[in-house]
Amino acid sequence: MADFSDAMRITSSGMRAQAARLRHVSENIANADTPGYHRKTISFAAEVEAGQATGAVQTGRMSLDRSDLDQIYDPSHPLANADGNYDGSNVNLLIEIADAREAQRSYEANLKLFDQVRQMSTSLMDLLRR
Amino acid sequence: MFKNLDMFQASYAMARHSGARQAVTAANMANADTPGYRARTLAPFAESYSAGADSNLRTTRAQHLSSSAIAGSSSVQISDTEAAPNGNSVSLEQEMVNSVEIQREHNRALAIYKHSLDVLRLSIGRK
Repeated sequence: MADFSDAMRITSSGMRAQAARLRHVSENIANADTPGYHRKTISFAAEVEAGQATGAVQTGRMSLDRSDLDQIYDPSHPLANADGNYDGSNVNLLIEIADAREAQRSYEANLKLFDQVRQMSTSLMDLLRR
Repeated sequence: MFKNLDMFQASYAMARHSGARQAVTAANMANADTPGYRARTLAPFAESYSAGADSNLRTTRAQHLSSSAIAGSSSVQISDTEAAPNGNSVSLEQEMVNSVEIQREHNRALAIYKHSLDVLRLSIGRK
């Protein structure tokens, strides 16, 4: 039984991590047209407790993508510089969508496994039934 | 069969083993996108059951240290599948297939256990 609760805890940590990733992706997409916005990324790391890996996954610190911002030519824009350009965001929608899809797939896999572990523990409980 | 109930021991060990293996699969699946994570596997039941009696130290009292407690869980191995560019060697497909296989193994163990229980019940005259 301890293994089952362990497995459930680990898969739910996976789902939590993927959901956090998806949240950052949606922040990036929402701010795709915000001037001066740097896209946010989060890292995944294996969770370590008292020097031992627990098997669960945790999200690391949020970091900003340091790549150059898009230069958008619009002399009438209030933020435009002397050349008529202003800083857009460095969000690439294609990358964000691909990232979101990957997060979704991993989330589904974790959910599937959670369901399987649940079925296994249910069938164990069914032993008590006559 | 009724002297030391081997059937129950074997099916109990099999169910426990598949539970432990499922936990390892869960860890792999949760870390499917963690950079540098190496996929882990447990040896199949047939191997670990036949080796289990000899390879582990016997613990006859609660104070005794078991060999698995010292080395973490000793039977967990790093699988040698090819790693992605970020150093992660988890294959989601492989893990899905494994988890289904483990579930079937678990169901099989429970079916055997239940059937042995039925036989036992029958022998004492209940149904």
